[in-house]
Amino acid sequence: MREFNLLIAGVGGQGSILSSHILGDAAIRDGYHVRVAETYGAAMRGGAVMGQIRIGTNVQEPLIPEDKADALVALEPLEGLRRGIRYLSPTGLAILNTRRLLPVDVNLGRAKYPAIDQIAEELRELCKEVSTIDGTSIAEKAGNARTLNVVMIGVLKGLGIFPVSEESLEQAIVARVPSGTQDVNLRAFKFGIEATKATGPG
Amino acid sequence: MAKHIVARDEPGLKVLLMGNEAIARGAIEGGVGVGASYPGTPASEIMETLVAVAKDIGFYAEWSVNEKVAFEVAAGAALFNVRAICSLKNAGLNWCMDMLATLVYGGVRGGMVIVVVDDTGARTSSNEQDQRYASSWVEVPCLEPSSQQEAKDMVRDAFDISEKTELPIIVRSVARISHSLGDITFGKIPPPSKKVVFDKHWKLPFRWNVYGPPSTHSKHVWLHTRLPVAKKLSEQSPYNVLELRKARMGIIASGVGAAYAAEALGWLGLEKKVSFLKIGVSYPLPESKVTRFLQNTNRVLVVEDGDPFVENQVRIIAKDVAPRVKIQGKARDEALFESCGELDADMVASAVAKFVGVKWKGSTAARKKLKEEALKLVVPRSSAFCPGCPHIGTYWALRMALQRVGGKFPIIHGDIGCYEMAGYGVFAKGLEPSYSTESVKYPMDSPYDMLDTLYIMGSGIGLAQGTYHAGYTDGKVVAVAGDSTFFHACLPGLVNAVYNKAKVTFLVMDNYWTAMTGHQPNPATGVTALGEPTKVGKIEDVCKAFGVEYVKVVDAYNPREVQNTLVEALQQPSISVVVSRGECAQVWQRAKRRQGVPIIPYEIDTAKCNGCRLCVQMGCPAITFEPETKKAGVDALLCTACGLCAAVCPFKAFRQPGQVVQSP
Repeated sequence: MREFNLLIAGVGGQGSILSSHILGDAAIRDGYHVRVAETYGAAMRGGAVMGQIRIGTNVQEPLIPEDKADALVALEPLEGLRRGIRYLSPTGLAILNTRRLLPVDVNLGRAKYPAIDQIAEELRELCKEVSTIDGTSIAEKAGNARTLNVVMIGVLKGLGIFPVSEESLEQAIVARVPSGTQDVNLRAFKFGIEATKATGPG
Repeated sequence: MAKHIVARDEPGLKVLLMGNEAIARGAIEGGVGVGASYPGTPASEIMETLVAVAKDIGFYAEWSVNEKVAFEVAAGAALFNVRAICSLKNAGLNWCMDMLATLVYGGVRGGMVIVVVDDTGARTSSNEQDQRYASSWVEVPCLEPSSQQEAKDMVRDAFDISEKTELPIIVRSVARISHSLGDITFGKIPPPSKKVVFDKHWKLPFRWNVYGPPSTHSKHVWLHTRLPVAKKLSEQSPYNVLELRKARMGIIASGVGAAYAAEALGWLGLEKKVSFLKIGVSYPLPESKVTRFLQNTNRVLVVEDGDPFVENQVRIIAKDVAPRVKIQGKARDEALFESCGELDADMVASAVAKFVGVKWKGSTAARKKLKEEALKLVVPRSSAFCPGCPHIGTYWALRMALQRVGGKFPIIHGDIGCYEMAGYGVFAKGLEPSYSTESVKYPMDSPYDMLDTLYIMGSGIGLAQGTYHAGYTDGKVVAVAGDSTFFHACLPGLVNAVYNKAKVTFLVMDNYWTAMTGHQPNPATGVTALGEPTKVGKIEDVCKAFGVEYVKVVDAYNPREVQNTLVEALQQPSISVVVSRGECAQVWQRAKRRQGVPIIPYEIDTAKCNGCRLCVQMGCPAITFEPETKKAGVDALLCTACGLCAAVCPFKAFRQPGQVVQSP
């Protein structure tokens, strides 16, 4: 493997950044070189957030070139579309959480939120496969809606394309989530993996 | 406080660290004794990491009240033989320039490292300033890391370079190094810092007094003896790496530019095919290495993030040693990079491809068309206040107060902090550039359209006075600031307003924390960086002491009280100050969670909601609006139960489950 490029897209406050740290941390435990880049605005919450994770034997630059993301994990569908268009590889896989977070622009009536099916359809034109999943419901079932980011890591692992072991991912989750939330997060991770077994991709 | 991983004394340990954490680790491995900073994205995590471990390791660290003070705290330690670090964002260094440009006349005894994090792309800054120029301006060496590992190692080594040159050293990072993570291998943590010594005439008379005999000019002469020392160190530096190849073309790349360029050569299958000079010391350049490189090439591409700082130095050297070499970068004709913005992988790969004369495969035309179609669906996500933010209520009240007594075109001068989001706009549509001989403003129908000017820390209260003294009569003049900004940069401006009788209204939004950069404490918080309780700086007391006669404190979560007070304040015969106080919503929510107090989200009674959108215009992200049913709603996952929506709804449509709300 020359490298694996992964994109995380979400809204500030959803834990996109933490999930990219967990993924990068896990990759180091498996002996890879890692670069994790974060892009966010000045706002603490509610802005568009992107994490880029590059793992491999000789990665150096922090950013993924256009059309070179092997996978996209979107914690929010519109954000998945915003980032997927530029970065998804024609052979890449996109995983979309279907729960919307409306931008203030939409709430104020100055923009219209696209339909989820339409978002998936557009991304399907640009990559190999798009999986949609109600990750927020799974997180709620695991015990806390805030574990959505870890549910989606589970879904990514369950779909079998992320080249890092389940053990390392579990260790990284335990090391990185806030203390006291390890159990609920590990459960969220398991539920994410199981969700892919139950329904299969697509 | 939990021990951060950077405190672990395990040489050889391999960990994933953010660039800023790596820089902190570098300071620890360099034997730092004193650290000082003021928070600023993208540099804040350096001092955040240091304050988290300072007590464990045994050094001193603080959040200073502003960058200038932080710089002087660090310099004051370095003069006394203690290794010191001052970490800053790009704009932060501007606050230090007076002291920096003068400190170098006597230099330092203990190593002093200034870490400045530039924000190419200006994602979280008010400009794209390239602070490498500061190093050449004041004649101190500048190191520029290409990775997180190098960021750590360079900071560690910069203390040695500082002591060898007797000058403070600038380590210039960029957001893509500081806010990215990479795998780091730890080095050793040395035993505690050196002895604190005051040596009044160390090597020079009146070393620490630029006015001392024989003259200030003589100190400048001394500074000029440092450059040859620095040049020699640059020449020998392991961070400047020369690889000559047969092809008579080559790339000179500095900092993060070197990481992009190295990978671009890989993407293009050109590894080890062209000469490569990786620059880690970007001032002064290693002249002999640059000369050898130039004399072995006919064409050069310079890759760097920021202005053509290295490129222009290379051009100067080339003029003497290789005048026929063609140099391409960002400056002058045939540039292969845009002259501003942040580098990215595609930019560098396509520039390298063009330079070498091969093709960088971008998207096909068909794929580009698909992307254009998909982009039509993408709607913006403008920056917004957090759900439950006290500023939401304060801005709602300010808007209502200005509608009542603000005049036709009231002016709001903004400032830097979370409340600056009131100037970001909601990508308002239909705006055209104007040239009008009368005042013009688009309407304020959300908190995001409110600020009329927005520049730097403390500029609001200063600009407001200019507006007033210029004789603006089309509306009232207001300046806003937050607690941390008030102490950082507004004190002289406020004194000036009282002294020179500027009739303006100053609205200070006190949420107790330096919130936007990650909730660092400041004088309004009542706790130091190291977690020790300290005096609470009361903004209202400061204002009264300065002679402001109208000073009122209001509850930010009581928007009607804020509104009525502002109406009164706007009509005062002299400067008026309103302090709108309410703790940052993220901080009080965390406290509630820790205490196990449940947050019960509000609901809407759709029968009572008449779709007036007043709540939506208040701008809380937890309030939604369904255009089909014309009813507001509450996103239960986002709602913090702050009650602002219920406070402004004229129809009492919002309620918490179990709460009885009387009909109007």
